[in-house]
Amino acid sequence: MSERRFSRRRALATGLSGVGVALAGCLAEEDDGNGSGNGGNGETTGTTDDDAPTVGILENRTGNLALEGTSKHQASLLAIEEINENGGVLGEEVEVFDPDPRSDNQRYTELTQEAIRDEEVDALWAAYSSAARETIRPLINQHDQLYFYTTQYEGGVCDKTTFPVGATARQQLGAVVPYLIEEYGERIYIIAADYNFGQLSGEWVNILAEEEGAEIVGEEYIPLESSSFSSTINNIQGEDPDFIMSMLVGGNHAAFYQERAANDLDIPIGSSTTMAQGYEHLRLDPPALTDMYVGVNYMQELQTDASQEFVDAFYEKFPDAEYINQEAQNNYFSVYMWKEAVERAGTFDQEAVIEELESGIEVDAPEGPIELDPATHHMTHHMRVAHADENHEITFDGEQYIEPTFLHDAGCDLTVESEQTQYEPSDVYE
Amino acid sequence: MGPYELLSLFFQFLDSFAFLVLATVGLAIIFGMMGVINLAHGEFILVGAYATTLSFHSLADLGVPLALPIAMVVGVLVTMVFGLVLEVTVMRRLYGRLLDSMVATWAISLIMIQLLRIQFGNSIDNIAIPGGNVSFGPYTNPYYELFLVGAAIAVLIGLYWLFTRTDFGMRARATIQDKETARSMGVDTDRMYMTTFVIGSGLAGLTGALYAPMQSMSPEAGTGFLVEAFVTVVVGGTSVIVGTLLASGLLGLPKAGFEYAFNSQLIGQVAMLVVAIVAIRLMPSGITGLVESWRQSRRESND
Amino acid sequence: MTNTVLERLRAPFEGPNTTGNSTAFWVVLALGVVGLLAYPSIASGGAAENMSQYLAYAFLALSLCFIWGYCGILSFGQVAFFGVAGYTFGIVAINIGSYTGISLAVVVALFVATAFAAILGYFMFYGGVRDVYVTIITLVVAVILHRFMGQTAGSEWAVGDARLGGYNGMVGVPNDAIGFGSVGIDMTGTGLYYIMVGTLLATYLGLRALVNSQFGYAMVATREDEDRTAMFGYNTEFIKLATFTFGGTLAGLSGVLYMFYSPGGYINPDVFSVSAAALPVIWVSIGGRKSLIGAISAALVIQWFNNRIDGWLSTGFELPALTPSLELTTTTVVPGNEWSLVIIGSVLLFVILVMPEGVAPRIESTVHRVLERLERRREQRSQSADVEAETETEVPE
Repeated sequence: MSERRFSRRRALATGLSGVGVALAGCLAEEDDGNGSGNGGNGETTGTTDDDAPTVGILENRTGNLALEGTSKHQASLLAIEEINENGGVLGEEVEVFDPDPRSDNQRYTELTQEAIRDEEVDALWAAYSSAARETIRPLINQHDQLYFYTTQYEGGVCDKTTFPVGATARQQLGAVVPYLIEEYGERIYIIAADYNFGQLSGEWVNILAEEEGAEIVGEEYIPLESSSFSSTINNIQGEDPDFIMSMLVGGNHAAFYQERAANDLDIPIGSSTTMAQGYEHLRLDPPALTDMYVGVNYMQELQTDASQEFVDAFYEKFPDAEYINQEAQNNYFSVYMWKEAVERAGTFDQEAVIEELESGIEVDAPEGPIELDPATHHMTHHMRVAHADENHEITFDGEQYIEPTFLHDAGCDLTVESEQTQYEPSDVYE
Repeated sequence: MGPYELLSLFFQFLDSFAFLVLATVGLAIIFGMMGVINLAHGEFILVGAYATTLSFHSLADLGVPLALPIAMVVGVLVTMVFGLVLEVTVMRRLYGRLLDSMVATWAISLIMIQLLRIQFGNSIDNIAIPGGNVSFGPYTNPYYELFLVGAAIAVLIGLYWLFTRTDFGMRARATIQDKETARSMGVDTDRMYMTTFVIGSGLAGLTGALYAPMQSMSPEAGTGFLVEAFVTVVVGGTSVIVGTLLASGLLGLPKAGFEYAFNSQLIGQVAMLVVAIVAIRLMPSGITGLVESWRQSRRESND
Repeated sequence: MTNTVLERLRAPFEGPNTTGNSTAFWVVLALGVVGLLAYPSIASGGAAENMSQYLAYAFLALSLCFIWGYCGILSFGQVAFFGVAGYTFGIVAINIGSYTGISLAVVVALFVATAFAAILGYFMFYGGVRDVYVTIITLVVAVILHRFMGQTAGSEWAVGDARLGGYNGMVGVPNDAIGFGSVGIDMTGTGLYYIMVGTLLATYLGLRALVNSQFGYAMVATREDEDRTAMFGYNTEFIKLATFTFGGTLAGLSGVLYMFYSPGGYINPDVFSVSAAALPVIWVSIGGRKSLIGAISAALVIQWFNNRIDGWLSTGFELPALTPSLELTTTTVVPGNEWSLVIIGSVLLFVILVMPEGVAPRIESTVHRVLERLERRREQRSQSADVEAETETEVPE
């Protein structure tokens, strides 16, 4: 092991966990053999030792969400490996239960059953899509399972044992919509995926536009299966907005950006979904994403020291990895956040760990130092506007530290009252 | 609705039409000839698209001129070879077994999707849509999409020529009409089947090659072609050219029209599928069956 | 004596239309049921819970086996009735919510699924739609439901208190117990599991009796040659409609039981997806489309295998190997779970190519052949013994 690597590891360990990690003499056995980069797929431990602390990592490596899930899985393994190499948690090596849910919600239910009941995981990271989260949340609630959901999402989950640590639609759109109104003007055209996340994101854009005195000139919701956008392009051309807000998701919808380029549609686009998850700026041929502005808390292009250390460690373990997305970063820091909460609580007992998390906790994440909001279980994030130019080079601007305010407005305070609800914007705004 | 809007709507219809024709022909030719439904059709298209995209990037890196057309030819050829291999190893055991063929090809599609993922990862870099665009009023439409419409029509004309003007076409039609008689007249029907399957694969490969710049390339991208292709084939019936042409028109119209009228792609899709159901109900052997019986009644009245 | 009682008991369930008309079969079936009943005490909690889900799927497999195997109607959309029943159950149960409400939800859900199948069946069969065209219409119905339900996220998509919920699904359907007033039967955990096994066994036996009845013969005749059956004066349209409708009821029952299993009373539009729609077709093709028991077993085994395979692939296998000095040792091969879909697909392909009629009929015919050979050998032996003893008069029938 090179000296450079060792020093970075130590920097990460001390930097991220904040409190002193007991570097007990016995370093954990190194298990580097499987970091072959094909997603670290070979690393599942079928059944894990009963006594050892175990975390469940249920992230998609096959199926139509594999593109986004693979990097989450890899980042979780990286965090666990680093922790184990530095003495584990409370001096114990952490084991991983990580079968592949294959982007199949039915399978998510099955594997969550097994993770909770058979493996008795001490904490669970699971689900990319909102649908997968909602599929397993009843199980989480039945068993009071400590659960981290790390995807950027529509927001509003107020749940005693769930920690949705990704940025919410309000945080992401709150970063980018006012920025673009300032920059380009007040006429907005919304296109979004026609399902829960897209529709709620559309509502958020409407709310933010109203707050800023802007105008929505058109709104279009696209089925997830659709990959033909010629009518959408013509509708946008007909309205000629100042900018487009796009909450399109998944592989099919990426076709929109290709058609946009072919039609020389140079209207700027704001988004909460593009680039930071499915790395469209690397997959699509430039200039498809010219003047794309995305509200993000993290992308691997972020040039801060903390970010670059993370990127180096990641690609050292997974040299063939395709991208480190926003969610991967969220998985990474939340594993460390869990570790710190466990060590503060002095036990793996989930109730105690949740109590510790709710006492207010800070982590030095690759995106910067951030803190957990005890009342809502969401994170205050460093939100930035990532901009892609005609060569798909990424620059960042307009950094803000945005609190998760929506659930406070909705009256969610999990430190006072235990809930298992999901609030929607219409519960608060007219 | 002004003239520009009308033109825009017309282009949208042409888009749907070209998509349906190109997504369908490969499937239709195999269904019409051998009576099997290839549920891995989307993945055959994907093989063409992957081969095109990957060879385009290597050719472009080498600085070869006309990289895209060459890459498209490569895409078609690779898919034909792939089809040939699959015909010899698997498909020929399934001819005439419609339902078994659906399960077997479903399994093939599972395997292919995952093998592509293992080999090439979760995505490969895309090709940009080539060429500029035609502009009319506030609107534009890429030349490439018009080119796709031309390609769809060219494919149909080419097939018409193949089936009516060539020796192969005559034998092929004889085999479709009455396999036993054709065989007794000296037609090597097994060979006909193999050739037809390879042609069908080549057409799927062509579709993949043509749509490679329009789609984002991931192992799941083939599934987007399947349902539409499947429905169009059945609405069309067993006659490849007439069936595909009329069914694509019949289904493309409500799709473009309803989408435009309600400004909702969902309503467009649902309208198309509902029209398909009603069409099958009214024409239980597809459009082909209707055309056949119309021809027959005309012949009878002439007599 | 006991033999004849047993035979009389077996008689209604046996006939030319079912595999397994031997004592050996019934013994194996009994063992299988005992095995299923014992499973929750052997397996871990999560695995047993998952088996409840597969048991609910077994009814879906039965529904397709019944209409496809016995009447030749290949529906690619049995999941449509499954899902419609599930959603209907959810809507009624959420709105009423008591034990009585849940009982009512079961009845309404089954009725709606049945009526839906009847309407769709009438539309198709009385319009002369056949073969692959039926397959396509049913698939398209499932696809439409999938796309439609996916976009019902907004609060305007609600029936009473029940939000449809779009792709995120409908959640919080009461499903703990069924009953009247304040008396209820627990429908959770192992209790539910045993109820499912019991219902499955009863349904299976009922279907055996049905397919071996007069109506069953008419179904099979329709499957074999519809035109000829119609010529003999049978109303084949009605036979197909009745079969398809009852298949819808069975698929609806599957959906209702699934809702009882479903943790937190949850259902989402994935139940209508093309990949979900393909599952019953796969179970029934692999198990044997003319074998009810084959369909059930295939649903249970394939789903279980699908659930387990990742673990096996990632913990690896011991394989024999040679060291450089040519000593025989073992080596552990860890293929990695990215190969699981490739393996599942290959197994499907292999079975379809090698055993086109399915696994269960193949097992039966093999067993049959072996038994016959043994029988013949014994006969030969006893015959030669007879010849040696004395010439005997012919044995009367």
